[in-house]
Amino acid sequence: MNAPETMKQFRPKGFRHVGTRPVRPDGVDKVTGKALYSPDFKAPGMLWGAILRSPHPHARIISIDTKKAEALVGVKAVATGRDLPTLESLVMHVGEGASDIVDVSHNCLALDKVLYEGHAVVAVAATSPEIAREALGLITVEYEELPFVLGVEEALAEGAPVLHDNVFTKGVEPKPEKPSNAAMRVEMGGGDVEGALASAAATVTERYTLEPVHQGYIEPHACVASWNGDGQAQIWTSSQGHFAVRSLTASVLAMPQSDIRVTPLEIGGGFGGKTTIYLEPVAMVLSRKSGRPVRLAMTREEVFRATGPAPGAVIDVRIGADAEGTLVAAEVEFLYHSGAYTANDAGAGVSSAIGHYRIANTRVVGTEVLCNRPAAKAYRAPGAPQVNFAVESAIDELAGKLGIDPLELRLKNAAAEGDPQTSGLPWGRIGWVECLEAARAHPHWSAPLGPNQGRGIAGGYWGNYGGPSTVNVSVAEDGTITVATGSPDIGGSRASMAIMAAEVLDVPYEQVRSVVADTASIGVSMVTGGSRTTFATGMATVQAAEDVKSILCQRAARMWGVSDDQVEWRSGAVVCLEGEKQGQSMTAAAIAGRSFHSGGPIAAVAALSAKGWLPGFGVHICDTEVDPETGHVKIVRYTAIQDVGTAIHPDYVEGQMQGGAAQGIGWALNEAYIYGKNGKLDNAGFLDYRMPVASDLPMIDTVMVEVPNPAHPYGVKGVGEVPIVPPLAAVANAIHGAIGQRLRDLPMVPDRVYAALHPEG
Amino acid sequence: MSKIHVSTTVNGDATEYLCEPTSSLLDVLRDTMGLTGSKEGCGSGDCGACTVVLDGEMVCSCLVLAAEAEGRTVATIEGVAEGSVLHPVQQKFLEHAALQCGFCTPGFIVAAKALLDRNPNPTETEVRYWLAGNLCRCTGYDKIVRAVLDAAAELRQERTPA
Amino acid sequence: MVRIVVMPPFDKEFFGEFINDGRLDLAPHNLFDLVEKLEALAPGFAAIAPARVHFAVDGVLETDWTRELAQAQEVIVLPRVGGG
Repeated sequence: MNAPETMKQFRPKGFRHVGTRPVRPDGVDKVTGKALYSPDFKAPGMLWGAILRSPHPHARIISIDTKKAEALVGVKAVATGRDLPTLESLVMHVGEGASDIVDVSHNCLALDKVLYEGHAVVAVAATSPEIAREALGLITVEYEELPFVLGVEEALAEGAPVLHDNVFTKGVEPKPEKPSNAAMRVEMGGGDVEGALASAAATVTERYTLEPVHQGYIEPHACVASWNGDGQAQIWTSSQGHFAVRSLTASVLAMPQSDIRVTPLEIGGGFGGKTTIYLEPVAMVLSRKSGRPVRLAMTREEVFRATGPAPGAVIDVRIGADAEGTLVAAEVEFLYHSGAYTANDAGAGVSSAIGHYRIANTRVVGTEVLCNRPAAKAYRAPGAPQVNFAVESAIDELAGKLGIDPLELRLKNAAAEGDPQTSGLPWGRIGWVECLEAARAHPHWSAPLGPNQGRGIAGGYWGNYGGPSTVNVSVAEDGTITVATGSPDIGGSRASMAIMAAEVLDVPYEQVRSVVADTASIGVSMVTGGSRTTFATGMATVQAAEDVKSILCQRAARMWGVSDDQVEWRSGAVVCLEGEKQGQSMTAAAIAGRSFHSGGPIAAVAALSAKGWLPGFGVHICDTEVDPETGHVKIVRYTAIQDVGTAIHPDYVEGQMQGGAAQGIGWALNEAYIYGKNGKLDNAGFLDYRMPVASDLPMIDTVMVEVPNPAHPYGVKGVGEVPIVPPLAAVANAIHGAIGQRLRDLPMVPDRVYAALHPEG
Repeated sequence: MSKIHVSTTVNGDATEYLCEPTSSLLDVLRDTMGLTGSKEGCGSGDCGACTVVLDGEMVCSCLVLAAEAEGRTVATIEGVAEGSVLHPVQQKFLEHAALQCGFCTPGFIVAAKALLDRNPNPTETEVRYWLAGNLCRCTGYDKIVRAVLDAAAELRQERTPA
Repeated sequence: MVRIVVMPPFDKEFFGEFINDGRLDLAPHNLFDLVEKLEALAPGFAAIAPARVHFAVDGVLETDWTRELAQAQEVIVLPRVGGG
């Protein structure tokens, strides 16, 4: 059921709880070490699993000999790709982005071919982790090595090794006769790009490149599975969506979803990378074979080698403006690393490239390119930061050529409500102009700079999402409230749900407790991803709380013997408006205490597919200081400005903005997958894959612009993903400001900056 | 290979365990003793999620052999609060919303407490460099640094004689 | 009749021979019916639609496929964008 019409209007300010900053209900567990994350869970009698992975980037599996491993004392089960059922191709959209279930299965355990170094080949379960690891050493896999390809342009070249003989480029007509590594091509736009560029007063034509980067969650993937002989199973794991874990695992194993109960453990970061499965079907098979619960857990090295990075990219931009700075045409063509299987970033890249500007003539073309790297997976605004880096760098270059202030150029061309997006759909109530105006008014924008310092600005957006969520709001006998959702709490959503329910019921925040329920205890909910949870699960929370309020009113009316319209909910209690009892009030506690004798327990479920989500826009200002001796870039000041709709819990909104900015700064300055000539990853650890640490960053100032979403009862817009979009170009533009040289290849590591400073070499 | 017998003190309690010669202190804390508050984010000393204090020194427990704890004292996240009363660093982490997913939080709190135990009045820069061995991917560190500075201020107030 | 605008990649992936300039005229009573009608033109479309397709009715994304289309002018078939 969708939200009733009465809920669809934004309620103006005057909130009691929305916008406050209470302590999160799961906080004490998390600061005392009590909270149970994926690698913390143990089941009685549990076995320890381990996975043998491919040492080759591309090879045919000739044979697998596991006899010696099976004979090792303590080894209880061994599994290969042959132990997973053969599946028909089926495209599923359970997490974020569509995946063919056959690819999901083959990525869990390779069948016939390995497609990247680190691809899982054989799994064992044993009575100790040491025995499991020893058993891996006793397995012999015979491979026929195949030529491999890592780069997107190389993968499209004539004669390149083709990863899949059943992939024919989608989105081209006529359908190609030969399979290729171009998995999908998406093109949008309209008008006369060539004509408009030919008549432009200034144009920029440049190529920008990025390497794949990892989401970098600190908690490695882990799960425990227990699959009984009667077909019923339990899985304990952290993920961005335990219902996605259930449906994907059930599909890979060709079993009924209701036979799997997934209990969500606390999740130690996901950023899109935990919207899929890697270990669960394998642990299930090992459990079924051994008759015991099995834990599989990745090491950090396995996380880097075998789980999804965000795609790297090669992006060509042509953009032009007239002499007054009106953008007249833009063309963006990009190739994204898809990795071993068809990924989903090209479509988002196309719709996230230039839609924030009013440009009459556009052409945006994106291609997903298969290559021998781990399968690309969603990473915070998947597909957007890459194209945004290119476009927002090019806009800066164009501003330079035109002699126009880069903020003013953006503001002059900024799309507003009603303007068309790249797809042609009109923008809704977006706050992009408001963010640019807030940036112009911010003291950071006009603050003086020191020696070797430069300032950059960039803007970006993300479409966000709504979708299915189920929430159960129930009233205990003492009138206290429990909100149960199916949405994993990855950054404070329990607090946001409690705030929204408390707002509806007008009761103290502490009277509402919020939990994340397992797949058998609440209805289906989509992943915590797409910046959808506060919007969609929040909408379900509000609806269920409204229903509970109605029930409480009805019960009180019946107890007083008056009609429903003779009572009203005020300050957390029902007040009688007419008759003998006029002026009396009954609290939730008083009503709930008598609920068994007035119709039964009080609870309401809202199961809805939330509509009316709106995209989020952000503008980031960055100051860098470049050391001319070393090329080292220091971020000396940073301000993130974002239209957040309404901030339900401002601390966690700011936290999203600061965390997204930090990830973007890492992407800009340090992070990259580095491969050797042998096709193997050279930096599969946090020492060599260097993410920002506290001493790399300044405080990150935040400005929450609130342009409420009229379709949400409290005006919510998704906030989580937007803030990783602008930082890449903001940093690049700031470096340009500092050294007068343009860096178009990420990451902007010291040797590249030094080379730009000293072009003579 | 036979196991090694170790007698040690963990969070003030005398403790004994048997461990493999190759086991890390982190493995024993988590798997043998059930103290899963210390996390393994990397196993190579790069992320700080397993930070504990060993004889007064902050260490990555994934880089310490379990056998090395013989006769020494170990302090983990589970021992930071006094009963149900949170340490000011823990309280300030909550008040400042200095955690999102919370996985790195135990390591940060143990490290921050170790800093404040030796330097009650750190500058922002000192806090940032002290915590540079702890990775957080969610917060951008802003609220963590503020929480530590605020906890330091509160602790100094407590220490000021009336 | 409702104007059906099929965006890339679906125009070329499924409907190349049936449509001019990405447009079709059909009379579906709701979006489920539209999927059936498109499936009849291009077998295979219905199987991928739930996972890969978004519909916009008169400029607004619509995730409820029971939505009546009697009054609609235009339905845009566009790629569904995932988040992280």
